[in-house]
Amino acid sequence: METLLNVLVVGILLGGIYGLVSIGLNLIFGVIRIVNFAQGELVMLGMYGAFLAYSMLGLDPYVSTLIVMPAMFLFGVIVQRVAIQPLQAESSMQIFATFGLLTVLQNVVLVFTRGEGYSVATKVASFSIAIGEIRITGTHLIILIAVTAISVLLHLFLQRTLMGKSIRAVTQDRQAARLMGINVERTFMVTFDIGSALAGLAGALIAPIYTLSPGIGDNFILAAFAVVVLGGLGSVAGAWAGGMIVGIVEAFAGYYIDPELKQAIWFLIFLLVLVIRPTGLSGQVGAEEVGFREQS
Amino acid sequence: MSAIPSTTRTWCLYAGGLLVTLLPLAVLSGDLFWVNILIYTYLFAGLAVAWNIIGGFGGQFSLGHGVFFAVGAYMTARLYLGWEISPWLGMIPGALLCATIGPLVFWPTFRLKGSFFAIATLAFNEVGLVMANYLHTVTGGPRGLQIPFKAGLGNMIFADQCIWALIMFGFMALCVAITIVLMRSRLGYYLLAVREDEEAAHAAGIDVTRVKLRDTALSAALASIGGSLFAMYIRTIDPPTLFSLADIGVKFALIALIGGIGTIIGPVLGAFLIIPAESYLRAVMGGGLPGLHLVVMGGVMLLAALFMRRGVAGALDALWRRRSRSAS
Amino acid sequence: MAAALEKRLMTEPFFSVRNVVKRFAGLVAVDNVSFDVSRGEIVSIIGPNGAGKTTLFNLLTGQLAPNSGEVRLNGALINNLPPDQRAKLGLGRTFQIAKPLIALTVIENTMMGAFLRYPGLRASEKRALAILEQVGLADRANVRASELTLSERRRLEVSRALALEPQLLLLDKVMAGLNPSEVTESIALFRRLHDTGLTILLIEHNLKVVRAFSERVIVLDHGAKIAEGDATTILSTPAVVTAYVGTRKRA
Repeated sequence: METLLNVLVVGILLGGIYGLVSIGLNLIFGVIRIVNFAQGELVMLGMYGAFLAYSMLGLDPYVSTLIVMPAMFLFGVIVQRVAIQPLQAESSMQIFATFGLLTVLQNVVLVFTRGEGYSVATKVASFSIAIGEIRITGTHLIILIAVTAISVLLHLFLQRTLMGKSIRAVTQDRQAARLMGINVERTFMVTFDIGSALAGLAGALIAPIYTLSPGIGDNFILAAFAVVVLGGLGSVAGAWAGGMIVGIVEAFAGYYIDPELKQAIWFLIFLLVLVIRPTGLSGQVGAEEVGFREQS
Repeated sequence: MSAIPSTTRTWCLYAGGLLVTLLPLAVLSGDLFWVNILIYTYLFAGLAVAWNIIGGFGGQFSLGHGVFFAVGAYMTARLYLGWEISPWLGMIPGALLCATIGPLVFWPTFRLKGSFFAIATLAFNEVGLVMANYLHTVTGGPRGLQIPFKAGLGNMIFADQCIWALIMFGFMALCVAITIVLMRSRLGYYLLAVREDEEAAHAAGIDVTRVKLRDTALSAALASIGGSLFAMYIRTIDPPTLFSLADIGVKFALIALIGGIGTIIGPVLGAFLIIPAESYLRAVMGGGLPGLHLVVMGGVMLLAALFMRRGVAGALDALWRRRSRSAS
Repeated sequence: MAAALEKRLMTEPFFSVRNVVKRFAGLVAVDNVSFDVSRGEIVSIIGPNGAGKTTLFNLLTGQLAPNSGEVRLNGALINNLPPDQRAKLGLGRTFQIAKPLIALTVIENTMMGAFLRYPGLRASEKRALAILEQVGLADRANVRASELTLSERRRLEVSRALALEPQLLLLDKVMAGLNPSEVTESIALFRRLHDTGLTILLIEHNLKVVRAFSERVIVLDHGAKIAEGDATTILSTPAVVTAYVGTRKRA
């Protein structure tokens, strides 16, 4: 019973991280269907942004989010205009373009850091609470609170604000949204930019628990796609739950099956969901457009 | 003018084109640096041609071909190390296995639309990576497999690099020849019909799923043979190398894109542009600033996706059409 | 044996639809529809928008499978066969929104159909060319399908279907969007095809077309067959006028 609880706690903490790094992709892929393989690199840039703010200005990573988020929003604006918008309708070219972007971003950072690993310190790290045998550090706790809070705020944004409503309208039916006078192109842009800012925020928030390396985004990208698909493409609550599922499955598979196979298990679950129900577990976006070929 | 050019003329044209790719080898055969680059160029040209069968002509954008490549590599190396089975024979079971698992794995994912199919095949590649690390007895786990240097034709190990260059050239020629035969047959036309419009293909009496499965099997088997050759050439294989997206899985598609997806010569052109350029940049820049050559390669990929969607072959084709139109 | 076969051919209709039902999530789109088509006939299916014509058409082509009922071609049960199997048994179809394979040339598009009976490249090409001459596209044979006009695309649809050498040709609103002279040309084409012995079943909106060349008309409304008979009689039946023309005026 004790072990079970411990594994569950580990899984939830891991799930918080997966959920957090997936929030941006949930907008970019879940809502506007951009296959952004460079999403992990946006998170990575957020981490390095927090590091820069820490090493140059002495800012705590949580304070630095105030700089990192707007910076990543602007970066998203540039990426969207240059690389994404021209390829709006061509998913296979998006794959190439964003994979090219991934390669460029990783290696630009590699060139500048010369492969040296950095870390970011925060006072919060010394604080911790104990649940059973597990000590939860403040950094992990903040991630768990942040992913929940951001999900709630994002949900309110999508439900209550005009911008949020037009984003939802575009998700459900692009044509109808256009007819209702929604500027679809502008909605796409803003959604991507917000997605980029949220990736940056996630990066800054997880920076204290990782050693920063240029290739760190690779650890997040497939997990993020899995979370978004499992959660039901664009569903905020779904993505939160999707993150938890991936984290908990990984923790349990790692403990009870084999640590080496922990990821393979959720890869397989992800593949299975993709094949059986590409609209995800909560899949309220009923249109066949989502994953299957049109039926008629 | 007929839609189908005469057979003999086409074959002569392609054979001539392939022979031209041997010229750099003839010129540079004494320079080991360039011979090594040529070996990879021929190999990856063949692999991109193999990917192009299902990825380009079939429109199934696979990012999971690294798995077939790895299966071929492990199978051949394992059979040689464990039972001293000549790699020439050892290639065959790997190819057959891939011709079986390829269709089996892709079958359920065929119902997915473009980007979802790509993501699913990407996940397939990652499952492959995890399994390769896990199945120590077969793959040697994270440490990989090392094949001792014992030169001999039967061992497929050669002291003379030029022999390797010729073998890889042969592999490329085989892939090109198979593609030509396929695309000049009814089955090749069916593949195009399926890519263009599945419903229309269905209505034209084409069994869409069977077409996709058959050509996935062919494409996977050829990728596996490429993996076998790769393993015997570098003689040390490990999971990060074989399942690398940037260097294997996505690279097949990238080469095809640069050269021209869904054309016969495109992937060969692409390989001759990408592989030497990348190897050269790596050699020149890699020493000073690691990663700089990849910044350039990533940039090229991004630019190609933005501005050259039909690749070099497409650009040449457009130029040719414009010229022939203004001439007539 | 020969006598039995003959008897079957005598008694069984060439193409028969029996009690076909299709439901979507509780909504009955096609409600217990039955009809026969004899060899060599031209039959039209008409009805107001939303009457279930397209759904019925998709049940006949194999795009959809019926919840219950039977579709038979030459006595063979085909209602659960996929479209490609139906094509092999002699069923050719066009799409309302033409589906040319745009990266390929006109003749290559037509060859896709011709391969079914002529697997060789040369034989298929020869056959395709003959069909293109028949539909008047021979001079466009080597043009990419993406460059065709709307009416040419429609004819390409027809030629790809004809290349299957079908016994029954199903046409989905094949005149929609054509100008009057193109409609006249198309009618002439289908008359010529009919004269070669081809059976044609069409879904049509254009009553002029229906009058011009269908021998029999089937009227659908709310998924059910409400009338059937020869064109002139049917088009003046009060029930048909209210269901069909009435709705059309309102729309």
